[in-house]
Amino acid sequence: MTSLPITVVTASVIETENVGRELGQYLLNNGMTDAFIAMYGDLGAGKTAFVRGLCDVITPGAHVCSPTYTIVNEYYGGGRTLCHCDMYRIESDDDLYSIGFYDYENCVIAAEWCEKIPFALPEKYIKLTIKKLDGDNREITAEEVENI
Amino acid sequence: MMILALDSTENTAAVAITDGKTLLGSTVINAGKSHSELLLPAIESLMKASGLNYSDIDLFACSSGPGSFTGVRIGVSTIKGLAFGYNKPCIGVSATEALAYNFIDFDGIICPAMDARRSQLYNAIFLSDNGSITRLTPDRTIPASELAEELTSYDGPIYINGGGEHIIRKAAEGNENVMPTNEILKRQNGYSVALCALINYENAENKDGFTDLALQPIYLRPSQAERMRNGEKE
Repeated sequence: MTSLPITVVTASVIETENVGRELGQYLLNNGMTDAFIAMYGDLGAGKTAFVRGLCDVITPGAHVCSPTYTIVNEYYGGGRTLCHCDMYRIESDDDLYSIGFYDYENCVIAAEWCEKIPFALPEKYIKLTIKKLDGDNREITAEEVENI
Repeated sequence: MMILALDSTENTAAVAITDGKTLLGSTVINAGKSHSELLLPAIESLMKASGLNYSDIDLFACSSGPGSFTGVRIGVSTIKGLAFGYNKPCIGVSATEALAYNFIDFDGIICPAMDARRSQLYNAIFLSDNGSITRLTPDRTIPASELAEELTSYDGPIYINGGGEHIIRKAAEGNENVMPTNEILKRQNGYSVALCALINYENAENKDGFTDLALQPIYLRPSQAERMRNGEKE
């Protein structure tokens, strides 16, 4: 991956993870270690698998799991931090404040269910959409968005 | 009266020990590390360098908000723990008021501004006059543009500081009353927290209320858990 936007179709979880790795490498190559990745995709689309691949490059060695219950997981590795958020249960800006969302700085943030926080998206972010196709096939789109 | 005071409401971790109004030691760290890593070692090193034991401290104090959710919780929890452990009084002071005390030697309008994100500032306005600080507004969240407009209604010098200093300075561009701010006065410092705490403590008629149980964080907005408990779930 040398530039965005991209659209790729993956046929397995491993391939979805690999796209995560590619985006991770793209971020590192471009010094974007404070990027915000807004993730969109249904249950079981492969968002966590994607973050697993992303972390493999950004925070190598970190054990990635779903933040459904914790709301935020912090991963450390390679001298960097990645915050993996699940916004599904966030209803308002006060909710975001009280999970410490606004305290995260100088780290990559990968946030699932960003449909819930349109009011809190930063001025610049990467929009990542994972769409379920037939069977295990997924269409993954990544694009840079300026939200000014 | 020996006071151990700290502020962790923004990125700066600030700790000071004072004997009344006399500063014994102060640490200010603004190096991007988290308060959970910095604060206790900073306290420990300052106590050791000052040759004091925790039992020598008569009053534990912190800025109790508004500010960063995590930072406010770390500061308040630390002071609650120390006060509980050593069975000593503790006091929380407003983070904006503590910032205003940075300018106690300047006469004019004091406008601390902390970045509340999403174009909002935590702010209050104070008057500094002849060595005393008077609050003119309550602590609040306010858009930078609105605050800049409000500042045009004041005469005389206006001093601004806090983590949102650059935001309000930009928003208030053209207001000739807004003075430049020295780097050391821009950020939180433990001495200002201690001074503010000392004055509030001495002015209080009933000093029995300054307990670890009574010390509460000030968020200016209820947390999700509080709203759910109060049956206000949106």
